[in-house]
Amino acid sequence: MRFTRPPDLDGVTTALAGGDALVVGGGTMVVPELTHGRVDPPAVVDLSHAGLDGLTRAGGWVVGAMVTYTALERADVPLLSRVARGITGGPQIRNRGTAGGSASYANPSSDVPACLVALDARLRLASVRGVREVAAAEFFLGAFRTVREPDEVLTEILLSDVDGKIGYLKFKLVEGSWPIVTAATVARPTAVRVVLGGAAAVPVAVELDPPPAGTTDPAWRAHVASVVERGIDEAGGGWDDVLAPGGYRRRIAPVIAARSVADALGEVTA
Amino acid sequence: MTTVRLTVNGVQREIDVAPGTLLVHAIREQVGLTGTHVGCLTGDCGACTVVVDGATTKSCSVLAHSADGATVETVESLADGEELHPVQRAFWDEFGFQCGFCLPGMLLTAKELIESTPDPDDADIHRAINGNLCRCTGYNTIVAAVRRAAKEAS
Repeated sequence: MRFTRPPDLDGVTTALAGGDALVVGGGTMVVPELTHGRVDPPAVVDLSHAGLDGLTRAGGWVVGAMVTYTALERADVPLLSRVARGITGGPQIRNRGTAGGSASYANPSSDVPACLVALDARLRLASVRGVREVAAAEFFLGAFRTVREPDEVLTEILLSDVDGKIGYLKFKLVEGSWPIVTAATVARPTAVRVVLGGAAAVPVAVELDPPPAGTTDPAWRAHVASVVERGIDEAGGGWDDVLAPGGYRRRIAPVIAARSVADALGEVTA
Repeated sequence: MTTVRLTVNGVQREIDVAPGTLLVHAIREQVGLTGTHVGCLTGDCGACTVVVDGATTKSCSVLAHSADGATVETVESLADGEELHPVQRAFWDEFGFQCGFCLPGMLLTAKELIESTPDPDDADIHRAINGNLCRCTGYNTIVAAVRRAAKEAS
């Protein structure tokens, strides 16, 4: 296995040009994959010296691919800073793991993909062929699959300012678990958008009516259930893995969505 | 084999490692410091925790080559000869360990917490140690130990 740690982005794209290399950022997801033989690439390209760790306020935010969860925790990036504080695995994982890596790895049971869709993020991909930007809503193709080509590297996540109230809820069964279902909400006066993570192979975005009588109103909850279940079915059904069966995730997703909306609207729920 | 340069507990080391070697294995087998433990090799259990360039890290999730040039502190850096580090002393006094397997992660994350948050509340402590699995204590004595260590450091 060839190992390279290029000193800049040009070096990274050159090293990836053959299309056979594994990109290692923080390593918290892919290094265990290497260890357990689930991937066996001829080459590894390490991003840690390529200058991709910038976190800058520029209109919205530009989050470099190597910005760690710890760096996000210390900043004030809408939604992502809050999500970073709740990432499973302790400070040792948050000190190395990155939002960019989570997006690129595209594990359905992870926090970041659905949050990026909720934030209408754009993801910048670079290769020797050039640079392109992809909307988060189009980035995730399936479980562990994105539009990133093998010779491309994610360089930045671009975030615009959010013009609504943000809510977030993550449901997991034990402290050390990957999330079972997450829900990120952006609530505007006339429309409430919720993006579910973990529920299906890809993030599921739904538009809900604002709750006219609070988020515990049974009629509104029925509306949420029907919209969320339809969204999950259209995305291929509930995501199944060792943590939880798809039917379970589909069943709890509407409740998680409703509680996320309650969080966005500042309602106190049990 | 490629040469990797590390500064481990203040000592510069040059080690030859095969591609794909994990930092935890390099520390244990090439550097010879076995206080850092191999647990799950999935990044879950925290027994392999070391401090890399000032930040706690699970060394099973880092390739040794990626650490080339880094400063690494292991659990062996804590005690000064026979003199326990205050965090170790607090774990001793509160019965914060039994078998000791999780200790590298517990001690190093506790130390990192206290350095950044001198007066942590229980939520801070839980968040600091929640990347370490302990199968002996039930965690209560560990939380008490971190609380004591913080109090004694202030």
